[in-house]
Amino acid sequence: MKTGQKIKRRDFIRIVALPGAALFIVGYLDIKNKAPQIVNLSASAPGARINAYVFIDSSAGITIYNHRPEMGQGTFESIPMIIAEELEVDIAKVNIMASPADRKLYGDQMVVGSSSISGNFELMRRIGAAAKETLITAASNRWHVLQGDCYANDATVIHRSTGKKLTYIELAEDASRLSPPQNPKLKDPKDFTIIGTSPPRKDIPSKTNGEAVFGLDCSVKGMLYASVERSPVFLGRLVSYDDSKAKAVKGVKYVLKTQRNVWGHRREGVAVLADTYWAAAQGRKALEVKWDNGDLESWSTKKIKEDYKKASAQDGVIFEEKGNFSKVYDSAPVKIEVSYETPYQAHVPMEPMNAIVYAKKDSCEYWGSTQNPNGFRSQLARQCGIAEDNVTIHYTYMGGAFGRRSLTDVAEEAADLSMKTGMPVQVVWTREDDLTQGPFRACSLNVCKGALDSEGNPIGLEHKVICQDIRNQTGDDDRATDGIAGGINTDYLIPNMVIKGVLRKLYIPISYWRSVYHSTNCFAHESFIDELAVAAKKDPLDFRLSLLKNHERYTALLKAIAEKTGWYRPPQKDTGKGVAIVERSETFVAAVAEIAAKDGNVSVMKITVAIDCGIVVNPDIIKFQTEGCVVMGLTAAYKSGLTIEKGRVVEQNFNNYAMMRINECPEIEVIVMKNSYDPSGGGEPGLPPVAPALTNAIFNLTGKRIRELPFNLDMV
Amino acid sequence: MASISLTVNKKKYQIDADPEMPLLWAIRDLIGLKGTKFGCGMAQCGACTVHLDGEAVRSCVTLLGRADGQEIVTIEGISDNTSHPLQKAWIELQVPQCGYCQSGQIMSAAVLLRENPHPTDQDIDEAMMGNLCRCGTYTRIRKAIHRAAEIMNG
Repeated sequence: MKTGQKIKRRDFIRIVALPGAALFIVGYLDIKNKAPQIVNLSASAPGARINAYVFIDSSAGITIYNHRPEMGQGTFESIPMIIAEELEVDIAKVNIMASPADRKLYGDQMVVGSSSISGNFELMRRIGAAAKETLITAASNRWHVLQGDCYANDATVIHRSTGKKLTYIELAEDASRLSPPQNPKLKDPKDFTIIGTSPPRKDIPSKTNGEAVFGLDCSVKGMLYASVERSPVFLGRLVSYDDSKAKAVKGVKYVLKTQRNVWGHRREGVAVLADTYWAAAQGRKALEVKWDNGDLESWSTKKIKEDYKKASAQDGVIFEEKGNFSKVYDSAPVKIEVSYETPYQAHVPMEPMNAIVYAKKDSCEYWGSTQNPNGFRSQLARQCGIAEDNVTIHYTYMGGAFGRRSLTDVAEEAADLSMKTGMPVQVVWTREDDLTQGPFRACSLNVCKGALDSEGNPIGLEHKVICQDIRNQTGDDDRATDGIAGGINTDYLIPNMVIKGVLRKLYIPISYWRSVYHSTNCFAHESFIDELAVAAKKDPLDFRLSLLKNHERYTALLKAIAEKTGWYRPPQKDTGKGVAIVERSETFVAAVAEIAAKDGNVSVMKITVAIDCGIVVNPDIIKFQTEGCVVMGLTAAYKSGLTIEKGRVVEQNFNNYAMMRINECPEIEVIVMKNSYDPSGGGEPGLPPVAPALTNAIFNLTGKRIRELPFNLDMV
Repeated sequence: MASISLTVNKKKYQIDADPEMPLLWAIRDLIGLKGTKFGCGMAQCGACTVHLDGEAVRSCVTLLGRADGQEIVTIEGISDNTSHPLQKAWIELQVPQCGYCQSGQIMSAAVLLRENPHPTDQDIDEAMMGNLCRCGTYTRIRKAIHRAAEIMNG
């Protein structure tokens, strides 16, 4: 694998205390242990650390360490952009490099929940501003002038009255000896020149020429490859195995039991380790393994649906309540009760799961793609029985993640096998492993009840979610947490509303999947709002506007998308349109689907999404993330869905777990709203409203209400 | 085991390997070119697409024995200095997100443009439907192929 250029050790130890931030111990950064992604850092010359994020080097120039792992969500560019803005450097001229995994230096680096920008915007501005002020102080000391008489522009400090200049490179060593300011002054947002623009992302060229390094591309000298056979029934227990044929495969070195933990469940496997991946995979095929799957083989999608339906009779836990729903429902002139169902979904990032771990006596190293570098470090320290400081995480670009790479399970297998063999081990999952082992997005049953008064005004709504809870998968506690209620819009002005949950506990592992429970609940909720609008004989977009008249951001979004899509134009023959909205990660989204009937089939013509995520750091990143959300949302609506038979997943690979392909991809338009609210999430919020916008459009065109995903678009 | 000779990106390699091994693993693990990706192992996703004597093939199901004596081009060999019109267009339109599938996308698109310098949307869909992108970059891929055609045709 590529490793970082070595930069000579500079021993500048500083403690930077930034208001609202963790303590940053600024000192020598061990470049040789860096993740492999470096852009244009060509020099091995001495350099100076200004703080944990900014390194200035006499020949390579300015390098910004990005502490948020990149999985396609664009933080490799957007986080350094925020620092560069306040630092007064041209983003085109800086190098960007992945920071080490170090909670003490960088706080929690886990990239989940569309939180990188919202959680770091203020902090990154302070980091950049503090570094800039430190450089200005260094210049003013050099010139014996007041700091206030100097300013910074384009990586240069300038003395206002004389026009004297010193570059950041010339000032770096002096600056690195100074204590950064506690309260750096931040720019007025109207003076932003980088935030709000879309410079070419620096990781892109390497993603067109094969140079970008993903986890699976790493290799370590002497490394063994492992392929692991596991029970297709998830919690099956290993009874026995015969490895004689496996060991006869040339290149196979070991056959070993292994295990990983997924949300409290121990899942067992038999690993074949060999000197090439191909030999390991061949050896695995030659294994004969006996599993005890107990009565788990009785489970099927049908049985789960029946279980959920039965469970829906339970009262469940109340997460949120206003007014008295039962009372108005009992006496309402118009009542509706319907159910919606969604399936298990797999993340299927294009890069199959993998991990390299080299566990030595007193230290441990990991190479691979992870959303959760600090969590991996803690896990490996625990597993190897060593201090966290002795664990080094080399995190790479991720070939997609969507939540799957926040879990440590694959690294646990690699660590277990490395400890057992004393060798570095790369565990490589096949696509079949990915699809049949999980964890998955939970399937769900949503029961919605609504009441209208005699004038068609909604007066009551109950939304009950029946599903597994990521946060409560083992043990005796039978209450669901409010996490399972994500994506249910309580901003609607419906006077009597109650949100409930009924927990199901199954042996099937579930986890976070792009936008999590919003992806299922929003389908149900926004379909149901549409059903209420139909019952009230109102335009579905106007119906939402009237129920959100006090909500400035939803109102602006709905009006913007109505205008962009010509919502109020008389419909063309054989076309339909549907709308849906959501709030996810403090971002507000409206989606409109436009469809047409063609030769007896329904064709998705265009999806338009309006997204309000407050101050936008990089509009193109918001756009492409939302484009991706549309494709993933449509895929989950009418292409993919996992089914269970005999306790195991039926869909094994992309041949029957279908993904949207280019020929099926409709036109997508994204409207990025402009305002001055605090920045909020960009990676997930576009996904939840896509499915209900589409099914609402199908109702608009055909009068057929789709309440179960995935549906077959050709059969509508 | 057999001795297999391959020309990859104009460089000759002599490999001693199982002729049943898919070309993908020979390129990645024996030759060490990691730009060609493993995605599904059954020619469903296109991440492993390379050119075998000029044709786009899924290297995950192409047996090494079949490639013996033939000329292979991988993403690393498609241009010098990232200068192929497709690479320029991919950068201009900021196509990749995670980037993992993009080697395969570009290798498929390169054959399309060689055979059809002025592809329509439908031509693009037909040529590219074997390449999955879970990040959903399809609309940009379509635009970038048109743009690459423009660059190519001057």
